[in-house]
Amino acid sequence: MAEESNYILEVKHLCQHFSSGRGKNKLLVKAVDDVSFGVRPAETFGLVGESGCGKTTTGRTIIRLYNPTSGEMYFNGRDIAGPMTKDLRRYLTDNIAMIFQDPIESLNPRMTIEEIVGEGLRIRGMKDKDEVRARVHEMLEKVGLTEEHATRYPHEFSGGQRQRIGIARAMIIKPKMIIADEPVSALDVSIQAQVINLLNDLKEEMGLTILFIAHNLSVVKYFSDRIGVMYYGRLVEIARGDDLYRCPLHPYTKALLSAIPEPNPITERTRKRIDYDPERDHDYSVEKPTMVEVAPEHFVYCSPSELEQYQKQLGL
Amino acid sequence: MMIDKNKGLPEEILNLPESSFEMVQTDEIKDEKFKTKPIGFFKDALLRLQHSKISIISFWIILSIIILALIVPNITGFTYTEQDLAKRNLPPKIPGLENIGIADGSRVLTNRKKDSLSDTNRYPEGSIIEIVREYESKGVAMVDVKVDAYALAGIEDDVYHWFGTDYLGRDLMTRLFKGVRISLIIAFFSVITNVIIGVIYGSICGYYGGKVDMFLTHFAEVLDGMPYIVITILFMILLGSGMLSIILALCITGWIGTARLIRAQFYRFKGREYVLAARTLGVPDVKLIFRHILPNCIGPLITRAMIAIPGAIFSESFLAYIGLGIKPPEPSIGILLSDGQSVLLQYPYQTLFPAILISVLMIAFNLFSNGLRDALDPTRRGEE
Ligand SMILES: Nc1ncnc2c1ncn2[C@@H]1O[C@H](COP(=O)(O)OP(=O)(O)O)[C@@H](O)[C@H]1O
Ligand SMILES: [Mg+2]
Repeated sequence: MAEESNYILEVKHLCQHFSSGRGKNKLLVKAVDDVSFGVRPAETFGLVGESGCGKTTTGRTIIRLYNPTSGEMYFNGRDIAGPMTKDLRRYLTDNIAMIFQDPIESLNPRMTIEEIVGEGLRIRGMKDKDEVRARVHEMLEKVGLTEEHATRYPHEFSGGQRQRIGIARAMIIKPKMIIADEPVSALDVSIQAQVINLLNDLKEEMGLTILFIAHNLSVVKYFSDRIGVMYYGRLVEIARGDDLYRCPLHPYTKALLSAIPEPNPITERTRKRIDYDPERDHDYSVEKPTMVEVAPEHFVYCSPSELEQYQKQLGL
Repeated sequence: MMIDKNKGLPEEILNLPESSFEMVQTDEIKDEKFKTKPIGFFKDALLRLQHSKISIISFWIILSIIILALIVPNITGFTYTEQDLAKRNLPPKIPGLENIGIADGSRVLTNRKKDSLSDTNRYPEGSIIEIVREYESKGVAMVDVKVDAYALAGIEDDVYHWFGTDYLGRDLMTRLFKGVRISLIIAFFSVITNVIIGVIYGSICGYYGGKVDMFLTHFAEVLDGMPYIVITILFMILLGSGMLSIILALCITGWIGTARLIRAQFYRFKGREYVLAARTLGVPDVKLIFRHILPNCIGPLITRAMIAIPGAIFSESFLAYIGLGIKPPEPSIGILLSDGQSVLLQYPYQTLFPAILISVLMIAFNLFSNGLRDALDPTRRGEE
């Protein structure tokens, strides 16, 4: 990959395996299997793949909700995959914040919005109630809510509003990076744009880096500088957003792209879904696949013969 | 993908000027204020509780029994230890009701020799109310006679034992409500202790999981499997039969259910996204437990504690009944029932009143806790 100092977050050969049962019944789920990527400061990195492919697990492992099975992770050059110390937890929680998928589940039903949003400040030692309140109100303004909403409980809000409250909670501690785990998947299409625009505005304003997780490409395509496509616990293609749309290489990426509805009614009518079947599309019995940089900034998981074919396709 | 998409598009669509497009979403998001008032969790639960008539009735029944337990032993004019062998086993006599023939302090004596009725030493003047039945047995004229037991015992007219007296002549009403007081104290304290132990134990199991959980859970199971009565008896031997040892006896295994409940709730809630969100903000373990996870257990916990109270009253009664009650002369519902049942056939009222009271108390507690459970159930939030 490119020179290391370029990245604010770097993940190398990350594995996250869940095991359940014992002895004969032991079941190993390789939720994340040898995943490597880097995120540059102030960019939006989209992580895309179908449900269950390990996107959430990747995000949660980075922020150390799970301990990684193996692999390395660096944030601003600091190792964040090592043993969990107080210091490391502090470092992680101060620098990375997370936005969750489910607008209902992700807010404590028994706390007011002020308590929810202000919690990050209070546990960081801000004792003065008025100061916390002022900061909370300011943050609520920023996400388009009013001061008066601060005394309310989550169940009184709509999905979009709750998601904005989740954003406010994450932003108030001024993190360097946000991991947004499908923040709009549970919302109406009309509200999705609202939330994404809000995230984008905040990103510009605060110079944030965003790891944006989504299960389809249509959400990330307007939004991400670079996109990583994930399939069954593995990254299969990483490229700049426009490269990925213009010339997708991996058959799974093509399949994902073909699933986006088109605004043009005439081509939409003739749009063909491409389906992806790893058994049919790859022959890895002889050659083992690896992650290769096919073109600048464009990585594909492929075998040597596939690489040749991809290079031909790109006209190299 | 998008590169050659204008194939087949009609000219007029392709050449639309940019000005014909309009942003649907303006940049500023501004939400309206809410018109309603904010409602907190407990206020909400209270509102819902008030909708349930049965809960309200049960609540008032429980409250009145508690108030009676506090007041009655002080105003009957008797103390719960005051003995008077002359006044043994008197039937109930209640002012007002005595005039309509119930609770008038009368009793039917059977198998009396008819001629002894005129003996004023045995039957003082005015003590015989009526002769119920006359018959002959082995040539002797016998009668069943209804007597005024109070006059028979030589007690003044203005003495009333509402619930009668026991075999030592102690006023049963005083003893019953004093007993309710003691039973309730035992129940409350054992339940509170159980809840505290159970919450801490269950939280540790549920939050940390893994080996800690396995060890602690197995330990609780072993404890649960031990013969409960034997341990209780050991306690009694060790500490004597005071209130403390009964409370302790009720706590040996009583907390295990609470611990299980709390543990299950922890497993249910510790993976919730809002708990994870708090963790990613750096909220420390203690705060996660007490602020984010435990509040979810409050509903089931209160319900459980409420159900445990009649359970504890019943267990106490059971222990008293088999002779493991608190030291005499202290009464408890169980002691009264146990004393009463030995003379159940002659003096049924001695069992009747404690039995009614314990039944009412238990039903009221159970109904009230059902209402509470429904009211505290967050899934019913926002209904009605
Ligand atoms: N805590 C866990 N224990 C065991 N398996 C898990 C756990 N979390 C996720 N998985 C499994 O890992 C896989 C990836 O899940 P996830 O990361 O949630 O996918 P995504 O977010 O892409 O939909 C799934 O097969 C899921 O069942
Ligand atoms: Mg997910």
